[in-house]
Amino acid sequence: MASSDFSSLPAPSLEKQFGEFRTHLEQSGTLRDRIRTVVSEIESTTRLMYASVLLVHHSRPTPELLEKAKTQIDVLKEKYKQLADILGGCPGQYYRYHGDWKSETQTVVSVLTFMHWLETGKLLEHKEAEEKLGLNGPEEFSLDVEDYLVGVCFMSNELPRYVVNQVTAGDYDCPRKVLKFLTELHAAFRMLNLRNDFLRKKFDGMKYDLRKVEEVYYDVKIRGLTPNGESIADKGTERQS
Amino acid sequence: MATATATTATDSAMKEPFTKYTEYLNNLNDKRERVVKASRDITMNSKKVIFQVHRMSKYNKVEVLEKAEKDLAAVTNQYVSRLVKELQGTDFWKLRRAYSPGIQEYVEAATFCSFCKSGTLLKLDEINNTLLPLSDPSLQPLQINILDYLLGVLNIHLQLADLTGELMRLAIGRISDGELEFAEKICSFARDIYRELTLVVPHMDDSSDMKTKMDVMLQSVMKIENACFGVHVRGSEYIPLLGSNDPNSFLVGIPDIEL
Repeated sequence: MASSDFSSLPAPSLEKQFGEFRTHLEQSGTLRDRIRTVVSEIESTTRLMYASVLLVHHSRPTPELLEKAKTQIDVLKEKYKQLADILGGCPGQYYRYHGDWKSETQTVVSVLTFMHWLETGKLLEHKEAEEKLGLNGPEEFSLDVEDYLVGVCFMSNELPRYVVNQVTAGDYDCPRKVLKFLTELHAAFRMLNLRNDFLRKKFDGMKYDLRKVEEVYYDVKIRGLTPNGESIADKGTERQS
Repeated sequence: MATATATTATDSAMKEPFTKYTEYLNNLNDKRERVVKASRDITMNSKKVIFQVHRMSKYNKVEVLEKAEKDLAAVTNQYVSRLVKELQGTDFWKLRRAYSPGIQEYVEAATFCSFCKSGTLLKLDEINNTLLPLSDPSLQPLQINILDYLLGVLNIHLQLADLTGELMRLAIGRISDGELEFAEKICSFARDIYRELTLVVPHMDDSSDMKTKMDVMLQSVMKIENACFGVHVRGSEYIPLLGSNDPNSFLVGIPDIEL
């Protein structure tokens, strides 16, 4: 009385469909492995750059260390090109794999913006960051704006330490410059309507950087360590903003 | 003086690029919001379809499923179409989190409906084909991805377990073979899917989350199997008594099983 239907083998169409799924998912797994290999190389290159840039805290001459860090930018560019090539095969899927390079790219941006600021005193824009990484082409693979903004927040975390060490090394004008930059940056970030997400959290942290830099600036100013009278008058206004 | 500095801050070189970022973020957040809303509507209305299918019994199968299919078509045309209009190019993956719950529920409803009707698993291609007419031919069509499809199929087990529970109650109460036969069909269907998924799940993007879902699914399969066991052991005393070839067999198209 047992039903023959009950113990039958799986329907061939079911088997076939799931077989296709498996092939598809295995392929995307392989793709992911390839991406991860490149990303880990990006990560180690960034670490090298960061280690060079960290020498600013040791009061090494900035141009020299920047020169060294810059040699790595081309390596990064090459790596990002590899990533773009890998992703080129699957259009529309940038964000499927985004999580695999997201945090590494944020670090890359933070190092690049910090270097750019040390060199020019200006903020590296999103478009310029893309250019530096060779991601300004027509390909789908570009620099996500949110990743860029998070990277900029990371870079701001670097500034309090920089100010402290510069003052210790005798550069008393530095806090004024950094404070001006950071105030502007903070004001610019306030233009953004942020959701309650990671970027928002990082932006909230920026005010502590700002406060620390203000404190250093205050300490320097109150002791009359600022270089000349002219800049004191100039700074008086900035303190209040 | 203070105001002067405040203006220099926003008038600075940073203003222009940040205006662009603001615009980008605003657009993205608005779009995400719309997608989340569409997804919620899809979830709500797909649930109604599932409830409708559960109202099925041996006697009203055809009408109930007809209504369920009509409701499902309404979900497709009203709510899924709204989603289709929003998602273009990279949005499909970028906003996946925003619409995935709705799509999963939709897949669950569609596959559940189709299983009760034909006894087979609705294929991904088949679902995607029903979505094709929704989008403008010039635009990229919305295609449900494998991951959401599999997640929806995963959840169908909970529905199947509920359904078998209900069928078993009916089967024992009325001693009719139609329900029993259908229950066995469900059991083998559920087993097949579970078995197939064990091979696929390890390759999925968020496989740790999937592992817990697979455990839940195994519970459902076992629940169905135990129910079948219960009826088999106890029901065997009654079934021969009935001994009829009921023409109203619960599943259309399934040949009557020899008893």
